[in-house]
Amino acid sequence: MADTLGRILLVEDDPKDVELTLTALEDYNLTNEVVVARDGEEALDYLYSRGSFKMRTNDNPAVLLLDLKLPKVDGLEVLQTIKADAKLKMIPVVVLTSSREEKDMISSYQLGVNAYVVKPVDFHEFVNAIKELGVFWAVINEPPPGSVRRKPA
Amino acid sequence: MATTVGAAIRRFLGGGAPASPAARPQPLPRWRAARIAVTRYGIALAAVAAALGTALFLQGNRAERLEFPIFLFEIALVVWYLGLGPAILAVVLSSLAFNYFFTEPLYTFYVNRADLAYYIVFIVFAVLLTWFSAVRRRFERDLLQSRDELRKEVSVRARQAGLLELTHDSIFVRDLDDRITYWNRGAQELYGFAPEEAIGKLGHELLQTEFPRPREQIRAELLRGGRWEGELRKRRSDGTRVFVSSRWSLRRDEQGRPMEILETGNDISDRKAREEEIRRLNLDLEHRSGELQASNKELEAFAYSISHDLRAPLRHMVGYTELLQRHAGASLDEKSRRYMATIVDSTKRMGSLIDDLLSFSRIARTEARETTVSMQQLVKEVRAEIEPDTTGREIDWRVGELPDLYGDRSMLRLALVNLISNAVKFTRKRQHAEIEIGCLPKQPEGVTLFVKDNGVGFDMRYANKLFGVFQRLHRAEAFEGTGIGLATVQRIIHRHGGKVWAEALVDAGATFFIEVPNRR
Repeated sequence: MADTLGRILLVEDDPKDVELTLTALEDYNLTNEVVVARDGEEALDYLYSRGSFKMRTNDNPAVLLLDLKLPKVDGLEVLQTIKADAKLKMIPVVVLTSSREEKDMISSYQLGVNAYVVKPVDFHEFVNAIKELGVFWAVINEPPPGSVRRKPA
Repeated sequence: MATTVGAAIRRFLGGGAPASPAARPQPLPRWRAARIAVTRYGIALAAVAAALGTALFLQGNRAERLEFPIFLFEIALVVWYLGLGPAILAVVLSSLAFNYFFTEPLYTFYVNRADLAYYIVFIVFAVLLTWFSAVRRRFERDLLQSRDELRKEVSVRARQAGLLELTHDSIFVRDLDDRITYWNRGAQELYGFAPEEAIGKLGHELLQTEFPRPREQIRAELLRGGRWEGELRKRRSDGTRVFVSSRWSLRRDEQGRPMEILETGNDISDRKAREEEIRRLNLDLEHRSGELQASNKELEAFAYSISHDLRAPLRHMVGYTELLQRHAGASLDEKSRRYMATIVDSTKRMGSLIDDLLSFSRIARTEARETTVSMQQLVKEVRAEIEPDTTGREIDWRVGELPDLYGDRSMLRLALVNLISNAVKFTRKRQHAEIEIGCLPKQPEGVTLFVKDNGVGFDMRYANKLFGVFQRLHRAEAFEGTGIGLATVQRIIHRHGGKVWAEALVDAGATFFIEVPNRR
């Protein structure tokens, strides 16, 4: 795990959602570049290269897909920490959540989120949304300096 | 008898000593005063003449030496009833007449040696008499005057004391040992003790007074400032409690030493009871609003949890069913594929139910942001939004002139979306659908909009169920829906202080009315 090249950091506590997300990304061969953190604390450990991620390379992920309802440290707290840190604030963060709550949306945008996506119930829509997100942020979008680069083909 | 005759004469003459102080201040007109003076001196003159005549008559009848008392009597009368001025005139004239007619040599103004002493004694007597009378008159006048003043003062005091008795406020006086020395009717009415029961008792013991601070402190304040005010609880003779707004005043003697304490009080039990009631109601209200807030918070947490946690499993159900379909699709028969499609459909329906319920509950939870909303514009937007549902349909839209409403834009929009998409939905089976959106002629109480369609309508017998949550008048296979749309419309219009109703006939269309009151 420590030497995985992670261009996408998926922060998601539900294993089923992880599986469905990874399935959606499979088609674009992005699965291998996804690092999964199962709660907010693990996400922060990864970003700060501490705990079980002590040995990882220092580059930042190209995008962070963040669920809001997480054990220990919740998504909004993770977002706040990232956007308050000079070294991390450039990482694009996409909130990916079940909730359609306006309150969450407003808080997220106030904290400086880059995109806010409500996971559709319909599986096809869900797959399309994840694919588009993955392709856009990890492939099309030019990540900020200091992020993991795409391996030369 | 003499005084009444004298008073009558005095009244008639109006001169001499005034009869009473009350008569004194009225100044007489000048001519009248002059006439009275002339009359007074004239009467004095007449009195002298009468005395002289009497004396001469008596002398002629051999009644010797009576002229002396006669003249003195005449002078006395004049000085008593006519005052000092006429009296002096009478003395002078009487002396001259006495000299002329009754001292040797007669009929001259000479007096011989033998009669000189007699004559001098007469004059001395006359002057002394006049003087004593005048002094006595002055004393009498002063005495009368002070008697009248005293009477007046007594009547004023008595009236004041009567006023104290008359007042509804309770007033009582305590000496410095707190023993009651005066107790008015108000005090009797308020506390129930008669004056004879109260006077001589210790005030705070009789009334079992409850002081807000130690009594010594209050007393010290009274002695320092001369006054104290406060609310005291006391007990009536029948044992009931009474709240009194009490004012104490300290009375000092001429040397400035404290003498006694005047205590007045009003019954404020009613006010106190009302205050207590208000306080209790406020507490109750606070308590309830706290409870309401707590339950509102709970509701919010509940809704939040639903929107997060309830949708996730639905997503998984759809997701894994789709994966299963993809994985085993080839080996599945038609029936299995239909079962799986049903699972997916049901799950999606559950998802939209949850979404509708959440947006319904959000109407109550969110604060209304009221502005002027153009309904014309809003209808245009809503029609654009539901256009995808109308493709391939022939719908005749008739949108009339619509007014501006004052309300929450997004809520009114949601209400219109529900009404208009209902109209679209329930006209689906019509070859030629007609949907009319308009406004009734303006009423003083508010604006009434309507959405009319020529769809399947409904039975008016069930109109009361129309706006209930999860209430549906059509079978699910005929028309899809969650049964929340019209409940949402009603809740939104109620939040705007308005009302909703509908008119319909089975298979002949329905009209939905919303009335929003005029505001601002």
